Amino acid sequence: MIKCLNLKKIYPLKAGAGYAALQGVDISVEKGEFISICGPSGCGKSTLLNILGFLDTPSEGRYFFEGNDVSGFDDSKRAFLRRSKVGFVFQSFNLLPKLSVIENAMLPLLYLGKKRKEAMERTKAILDKVGLSAKAENDVMELSGGERQRVGLARALANEPQMLLADEPTGNLDSQNSAQVMDLLFDINRSSKMTIVMVTHDNKLAQMTERIIRIKDGKVEK
Amino acid sequence: MRFSEILRIALLEIKGHKMRSFLSFFSISIGVISIMYTLTLIYSMNFRLKKAVEVAGPGRINVELKKRWEAQSDAEKKEAREALTYADSIAIKKAFPELYMVSPYKDKWVEFSDGYFTDYVSVRGITTQWKKRGWVYKLRGRFINEYDIENAQRVCVVIKEGGWMKKPKWMKFYSYSDPLQNYVKHSELLGKTIKLGNGLYKVIGVLEEPPAEKNPRSFVGVGMWEPKVLVPITTAQKFLSGWGDNAGDAIDGIHVDTGDPATIEKYKRQIEQALKSLHGKNLRFNIKDYREVMKDQMADKRRDMLTVMIIGIIAILSGGIGIMNVSLAAIYSRIKEIGIRRSIGAGRKDIMLQFMTEAMLLGFFGGVAGVIAGFAGIQYLAYKGDQNMAMLSWWMPLAAVAAAVFTGFAASIYPARTAAKLDPIEALRYE
Repeated sequence: MIKCLNLKKIYPLKAGAGYAALQGVDISVEKGEFISICGPSGCGKSTLLNILGFLDTPSEGRYFFEGNDVSGFDDSKRAFLRRSKVGFVFQSFNLLPKLSVIENAMLPLLYLGKKRKEAMERTKAILDKVGLSAKAENDVMELSGGERQRVGLARALANEPQMLLADEPTGNLDSQNSAQVMDLLFDINRSSKMTIVMVTHDNKLAQMTERIIRIKDGKVEK
Repeated sequence: MRFSEILRIALLEIKGHKMRSFLSFFSISIGVISIMYTLTLIYSMNFRLKKAVEVAGPGRINVELKKRWEAQSDAEKKEAREALTYADSIAIKKAFPELYMVSPYKDKWVEFSDGYFTDYVSVRGITTQWKKRGWVYKLRGRFINEYDIENAQRVCVVIKEGGWMKKPKWMKFYSYSDPLQNYVKHSELLGKTIKLGNGLYKVIGVLEEPPAEKNPRSFVGVGMWEPKVLVPITTAQKFLSGWGDNAGDAIDGIHVDTGDPATIEKYKRQIEQALKSLHGKNLRFNIKDYREVMKDQMADKRRDMLTVMIIGIIAILSGGIGIMNVSLAAIYSRIKEIGIRRSIGAGRKDIMLQFMTEAMLLGFFGGVAGVIAGFAGIQYLAYKGDQNMAMLSWWMPLAAVAAAVFTGFAASIYPARTAAKLDPIEALRYE
């Protein structure tokens, strides 16, 4: 499903040669896999995830998604991939505080051009899956951290993506809520064969996934 | 994203920042009000100019004796002056027989009385030439004829106003009514003998104006007021006792119609020469192309209009700058939101459209508020009797709102581009 060849990401600096966040990463992920990307902070794992999720482009190297080289895609093509192929779950939830739970969760469908009514119905089913159907009309500010992350998860799933990218999804949660969110992720992976790539620096969580890719100083550790 | 969704988000955003939104559309409203005012004024002035020229004749030239107060210097004020006379008008007609109309006139302010009703009215001495322009009347009895003029007959013709078929709202309260007209409306004057000044005059004719809606004169207004009692000009010179600008044989002016706008300049020059050769430099007179007279009379309004228009443009511009400023500020308070929306699939176009829609909506609301206020104001002015304001057309509010929306559009291009160009990752990280 994903194949990365010699991915490099260099951030230009005002002086000097620029900061190399990724220095040649080769990874591949099969369809339906649940893998974790592990590593200390600053190692480049978030940069890698951003590239995998079409938010960023590699400075060098090639990124094949479903067999297509997407490393050279322009902004609008990447935006299309973001809204149709992937779902993002963030550490800090990144919900829109002015909108209700269901409005947050259905945003990707609206960007896909779906009618509001249709989007509502589809999103309700997903909220049901993450156990939030009772709070669909609440403001997100009224929810607990765990509930917010489940809204984030529902939003990531709304467009029925091929791949779920989670950036420290439990980083802001206590152990009980963490466990709940992880259970949901496993459940999704198992029931709908969705590819999940999770970034974490928590070894215990990483151990639970099928495969661990360890990154250090912008390179995959063998 | 569907446009209905973009609209919904924009409305929420405006609703969420009521004060900010109000401030930015406030000056747009002021601009829209003044645009509406200006449009109404331009429209009605052009309409009037056209109508006035239509009624007055296409090749109209006015010859008028200069008033004393128009003198440029004290010496000029005191100098002996010659008067324009009826003979001059005959001479002009003789010299240029091809002229369509040479109509001399002399006005006097006279006591009118028929035993029941007494009032001071304005009376105009005329010749048969008067009939040649703007004849919109229905005549009962007969009009003043050559015989009356040659023999200075003591006869008069009274003009009866047509009233309104359906009185417009703004006229209902603006209620100056001419007492003579009130009297004429209710009593039959034709054939009666009335007293004008010290003399007795027979009413030989009544000219009935059509209803105001059908009378091209009624919308002309400016400079078209004319006395409603007509007598032969010779009678006015010899017998009519009252007050006038020019005593004795002097007449007030001559209305000339060449029949063709193209010949106005030519005849203006030639008539001026003719009058100068008849009188020498002691005749102080003005000779004016009627279109210029109308324009002069509208000059004040035009200046007002220009001022209002400039204020309007400035107001709309500052409204636009306001919207631009608010949009730019809004971007910085919404960077995170932009990042989130981008990460879940919003393209640059979506973000750009979002901000532009918001700004255009602000412009639209400002425009609508302005139209409502402007409409109320214009109705009020019309109700106060400003006839210019009675000519508000349906397309003016539309044009004004369109201008407001366009302002929003123009002001949002830069901020919207800025928002759309934000890097999604940096925007996401922004706290």
